[in-house]
Amino acid sequence: MTATRRPPELRRPRGRTGDVPKAIGASSIMWLLVVVYAVPALWFVLSSFKPAGDLFTYPLTLFPKHWTVSGYTQAWTQFDFARYFVNTLIVAIAATLLTIVVSAATGYALAKYNNWWLKAFAVCILATTMLPSETILAPLFLVVRNLGLYNSLSGVVAPAVITATGTFMFRQFFVTVPNDLLEAARIDGSGELSTFVRIMIPLSRPIIMTLAIFSFQWRWNEFLWPLIILNDPKQFTLQIGVASIVGAQNVNWSVLLGASVMSMVPLLAIYLIFQKYVMSADLNAGLKD
Amino acid sequence: MATSATVRRGLARWRWLSAGVIATLALTACGSGSDDGGSDVKSITFWYSTSAQDQGYTDLAKEFQAKEGISVEIVNVPYDGYQDKLRQAAQANSLPDTASVPSLDTIWVNQLQDLASTANNTTNNINKDLITVQDGKVLTIPSDVTAAGLFINKSLFDKAKVAYPTDPSKTWTWDQFLAAADQVRTATKAKYDLVYDNSPARIRAWVYTHGGKGFQLGADNKYAAPDATTVQALSDFAKLNNDVTMPKSVWTSGADPNALFKSGQVVAYYSGVWQVADFADGITNFDWASVPTPAQPVHATDINLGGKVVAFNNGDKAAAAKKWVDFIFQRDNYTKLAQTNGYLPIEKGLTLTYPFKKQAALDAFALYGKEMELADPISASGQAAGTKLLLDGKSISEDPTKAEMAKFINGQQDVQKTVDNIVSGLNQQIS
Amino acid sequence: MVDSVRQSAESPSVPDDAAPARAKPRWWPRKRYNRYTAAPLLLISVNLALFLLFFVWPVVIGLNYSFTSYTGVGTAPYVGLDNYQKLFGDSAFYAALWRTVIYTGAVVPLTFITSLGVAYLLVSPYAKGKTVARVVFFLPWLISPIIAGVIWRWLFGENVGLVNFVITELGGKAVPWQSNANLSLMVVVLAATWANTAFNMLLFVAALKNVPVSYYEAADLDGASAWQKFRRITLPAIAPTSFIVVLLSTLHTMKEYGLIKALNDGGPGSENNLIVQYIYLTGFRRGHIGYASAASFILLLILMIIAVVQLLANRRKES
Repeated sequence: MTATRRPPELRRPRGRTGDVPKAIGASSIMWLLVVVYAVPALWFVLSSFKPAGDLFTYPLTLFPKHWTVSGYTQAWTQFDFARYFVNTLIVAIAATLLTIVVSAATGYALAKYNNWWLKAFAVCILATTMLPSETILAPLFLVVRNLGLYNSLSGVVAPAVITATGTFMFRQFFVTVPNDLLEAARIDGSGELSTFVRIMIPLSRPIIMTLAIFSFQWRWNEFLWPLIILNDPKQFTLQIGVASIVGAQNVNWSVLLGASVMSMVPLLAIYLIFQKYVMSADLNAGLKD
Repeated sequence: MATSATVRRGLARWRWLSAGVIATLALTACGSGSDDGGSDVKSITFWYSTSAQDQGYTDLAKEFQAKEGISVEIVNVPYDGYQDKLRQAAQANSLPDTASVPSLDTIWVNQLQDLASTANNTTNNINKDLITVQDGKVLTIPSDVTAAGLFINKSLFDKAKVAYPTDPSKTWTWDQFLAAADQVRTATKAKYDLVYDNSPARIRAWVYTHGGKGFQLGADNKYAAPDATTVQALSDFAKLNNDVTMPKSVWTSGADPNALFKSGQVVAYYSGVWQVADFADGITNFDWASVPTPAQPVHATDINLGGKVVAFNNGDKAAAAKKWVDFIFQRDNYTKLAQTNGYLPIEKGLTLTYPFKKQAALDAFALYGKEMELADPISASGQAAGTKLLLDGKSISEDPTKAEMAKFINGQQDVQKTVDNIVSGLNQQIS
Repeated sequence: MVDSVRQSAESPSVPDDAAPARAKPRWWPRKRYNRYTAAPLLLISVNLALFLLFFVWPVVIGLNYSFTSYTGVGTAPYVGLDNYQKLFGDSAFYAALWRTVIYTGAVVPLTFITSLGVAYLLVSPYAKGKTVARVVFFLPWLISPIIAGVIWRWLFGENVGLVNFVITELGGKAVPWQSNANLSLMVVVLAATWANTAFNMLLFVAALKNVPVSYYEAADLDGASAWQKFRRITLPAIAPTSFIVVLLSTLHTMKEYGLIKALNDGGPGSENNLIVQYIYLTGFRRGHIGYASAASFILLLILMIIAVVQLLANRRKES
């Protein structure tokens, strides 16, 4: 790919005198926000290293007086962490792949075609986010059971593929792709679907990456639906294991914090990898330089 | 723009992608392997819910396998959602073979086996007062009993040099307790006298100990308006939530009383026996102790059932399931179970040595044992009403007491409206 | 050059007769620019199937329940519009609805501004130390409501919370973060913004990265300041994403349940019961499935109206 000139804002500062105050200004605002956001999260992470007895002592402390990993070791042995991890990975990957393909196709159709029933479908897709989950839980269960998907990981994956967020992410992106591109491709004799696959999808890579991050997190942190659908404990997902730490009358907080931190690590890893791609992407939506 | 090489790579990538998708779908589509349907039953399932690392059932399962050659697959289901899961499993014809459930559900109660032979077995000596019999059938046997009780921050009491009773037969009244707690609080500059669990079951104990009857099922199987003592007791309770004696935030906005007690800033905590195991490991910065429940004038508590063990009628697994339930409640086995899991026993006359290392925990269990013996029979009426309704095909899914008391303590309504709302809310669910 | 930002999906770009000389001979009949049907149909086919199976089918079942007095077990006796009448006569419903509207009105603008600001900083080359910042902004979104509840109660607990501790140490009086309904809601607003920033931030980052280079260069030539560039170029360029952020945030916030339950259990008392908590408390938790379904569909209707209004407003802006 030919090197595109990055906008002045995104180019490395070449030591112009105006850059240093800008760097200081931007950095300090960002770091102020970082501190504000970090304090609650920091308490959470640091508390996972505190022994159970120190979690709620008064006066409150941010840093542990005695560092311990007993929360983590107990969480690891409390339930079959490794196996649940693999199950959740399978569900998340399968659902993410499917969601990306389906949302991209639908988003593109909504953005680039003009049929009235497409507009109606857009509203229908939005409607899927408008019901509280418990309303639809029992009826959805009946449907999934009737389709024969009870007690299988596909019963967890299939209802989760459709997402208004993903579809509209792609729609809004494809709206900003000029119709010139599409017309040029049509003139070149490319079929509609071929244009979509060959040209439009590669363009939307940052959206793909972003949706992948979202979809992964949604499936990773899903609890109630996998619990209800899956009967065989060998297929349980991670959040079911983590939720089993929350007792009927009391919660073993140090174990819960340890388990939660452990279950977040893979999500952070995915995020860092994919985000690196989005951040370093040099896109111009196909406009000629 | 796009070179042909890129296009080829792109298309190749897509083929690889779709292959991957199909592969993962195939992987996920194979659900659990079909179970054996043979006449020789080799394994049964047992669902229960625990947040601790309870070895009790696992150990018993090992012995059961050695004895009968049937393996028990133990599944720990998270408490939140367990009841829903059972209900949906019933609708999918996939109920487990046995389970320890939080409460019976009308949707599958007709699929339960009769456990009368185990319950009536004299060697087991199961406490009959806590077993509900319907048409001569016993549908469930509780695995353990729970009771509400009072904990104190012993370090604060000692620091303030205030005495407290240790013998339940010579217990104190609520007024005496509150006076002592006031003394301790002012002497040690603690924040609150008492935190009280935000739960309908726990407030029942408050009402009973003040001599009220609480919300009882009438002869017509409907909840009747409570007596004046109950109403007065609830009023007094609300008055105590004044951010000096008790913090308002527990009952009005769900603050965690367990965490507050652990902060060491509260003199006493009214909860129940299930906290003992948690405190034994979880409180290291001060000494705590279980003390006799105050009585004013009735010596009562709220006795509830822990997990309810049931055996489902799952075709050819039914016989094996019943054997497992029977095995659990055999005297020696049950002793081991109760000791390992820290249960208050449902069987009478057992000698239990709990594995707690902390003396405070051992003392607490001994105290609860005595308390249960001294408790007024009304203490078990809450859970008895619940079971009775269930066997009639009705159930209370959500006790409105919690929400109504929250509004009352928050000043949104008076006590009469609160009580009326509770009664109508309960009756709405069983009409 | 066509303005890529103002391009709406419906307007044709190039009339058919503009490039006949370069067109390859076709064997299929020439379609008009706004009459492609096979392609879009195929593109949405999977989503359509999933939508019908896993949304419409359950919704029809649920809608059916709303006209009955179904309790989750047994038969579902038909009661017509009873549930709806009861709903419209319940003052608690309106109170919950109004409270939800206030809550949404506070959260959505705050989330929008913070997410956009954070995204802008992360995309700018001037801010240093972005990797750590990225993790810190992302982490809150991963945290489950029960843990978020513990964290924020630890911070803003009115009995032993950190903020009150600091205030009392400095000589002030402890603030009733939980006993005062409005303060309690404010804490939830802060927590919700904290938790949801990452999601909107990622949407904005992708959009900011997509703004055409040439615009900034042209503005630089004209000597525009950073703020002018932001207002005149960035904001309009990311308008589609801004719209979706506002729409999704509104829908998501109106359905708030887990976080507020963990933070103040709808309290104090029932003053902060939002609409979904109302539905759960009076409906599902009490076995009144029919009533809960009716309330849910009224909520659906309200959200649908909001969405359609926003879509129409956006359509006017897009064209």
